[in-house]
Amino acid sequence: MVKLRIGYPEDPDYPERLEEFEARIARGEKIEPGDWMPAEYRRQLIRMISQHAHSEWVGMLPEGAWITRAPSLRRKLILLAKVQDEAGHGQYLYHAAETLGVTREEMVEALLSGRAKYSNIFNYPTLTWADVGIIGWLVDGMAIKNQTMLAQCSYGPYSRAMVRICAEETFHHKQGKEAVLLYARGSRKQRQMVQDALNRWWWPTLMMAGPHDTDSPHTPLLLRWGIKTKTNDQIRQEFLNEHVPELLEAGLTPPDPELRYDEKTGNWVHGPIPWDEFWKVINGEGPMNRHRLLARERAHEEGRWVREAMEAHAKRRLAQAAD
Amino acid sequence: MWGTEWPRYEVIKQDTPKSPPQMVGSVHATDPEHALLLARHVFVRRPSAYALFVAPAEAFFHVTQEGLKGPWSEGLEEGPEEAYWVFAKRSHRRSMVYGDLVGRFLAKGPASAIREALLHAQGVAFWAVPERLVVGTEPKEEVIESWFAPAKDKTYRLQSYYGLVTAKEVEDAP
Repeated sequence: MVKLRIGYPEDPDYPERLEEFEARIARGEKIEPGDWMPAEYRRQLIRMISQHAHSEWVGMLPEGAWITRAPSLRRKLILLAKVQDEAGHGQYLYHAAETLGVTREEMVEALLSGRAKYSNIFNYPTLTWADVGIIGWLVDGMAIKNQTMLAQCSYGPYSRAMVRICAEETFHHKQGKEAVLLYARGSRKQRQMVQDALNRWWWPTLMMAGPHDTDSPHTPLLLRWGIKTKTNDQIRQEFLNEHVPELLEAGLTPPDPELRYDEKTGNWVHGPIPWDEFWKVINGEGPMNRHRLLARERAHEEGRWVREAMEAHAKRRLAQAAD
Repeated sequence: MWGTEWPRYEVIKQDTPKSPPQMVGSVHATDPEHALLLARHVFVRRPSAYALFVAPAEAFFHVTQEGLKGPWSEGLEEGPEEAYWVFAKRSHRRSMVYGDLVGRFLAKGPASAIREALLHAQGVAFWAVPERLVVGTEPKEEVIESWFAPAKDKTYRLQSYYGLVTAKEVEDAP
């Protein structure tokens, strides 16, 4: 694929083209593949979309581990459909990133070599079946807040991928919520299990929205170019305001002694987030980082013979067609 | 044969017999048949479909919104006359605006096909691909049934399956 070298501030027509580009975004137009865009817009999108795609792929692993241990056929069918969706979401997103000139091969290589980042959340283990419910309700709940915002993104292929993804994530969210609420009113053991899952996933889920706005240097530019339409703290707040009352109503307690409702603003306010842990996990030191990458690497290697067979088959067909 | 990355195929999906085929994304595959199978897994897990088509991504000629304002079709080489499928992005109104098929045009090149399409259809960006490179599912009842019915019958197809779940009342799924 030809690497584009356009849209740099040193280009003579940059100021004029930037003005027109920003005017298009202000008019609510979508930027499409092949349109002029600042190199930095392209770079930020490739960074975000590929990280998002990697997250979908790695995200199959913690839940996939429970497919064979689902407690009923119904739950197994749900989980199979969900994990299959995540694979599909990765495909939509890799496609969206490819429209910006990065290749699938480069992205997969960056993931397998450990250079690429993906969501912190998938570097935690799923210890019990209740984790699957909590992931659906809370982790996917936070993901939906972010993705609904990204569905309004100024880049056409990313926003279209997000619209499709949100439709399926809503299904994931509902199945998780249904499961958690059932356990929350179940036996003592089930209640303990689901509270324990909440305790372990609560802070990593809040971290998913990303650093506070004051520590997020990219945010102002991303907002200006319509890549994001809300800040990390806004997303986190929306998540809290929706989920905290429902968790409390279900008899579950988020593990934050400082969590309180602020009458004045109408917001749920959380205590300090353990950001040291976030940075450790993002930089490869989470409990499951190595395990996740090894699993992806193994899947890639174990699929090698299938790829080779497909290629041999295609070669033979081409040769036959030529005869 | 291709290094480590298979060729990319654009995927065109038609939701119903009356709706226009739309460019929905792409897949990497070894040949068109493989591309169609992958396209079904990626783009038709839950949504309805009547037909799917694929064509090599590199075979598409594209004119962007900015390109349309300039002399985009000048100096392009022309060959023998053949049929082209021409797609247009019609507006910016919603996120879900894809390239819709606006018609089949006989032309001596993709630029001519788009010029012809512009006489009949409006759009902010256009694509053209030779029809001979488009491969699709057959419009036969048994093919449509076998390719697309499983997505419709999927047990967990829709989130509405779960009803309105609240903490007070967990409705058991039917």
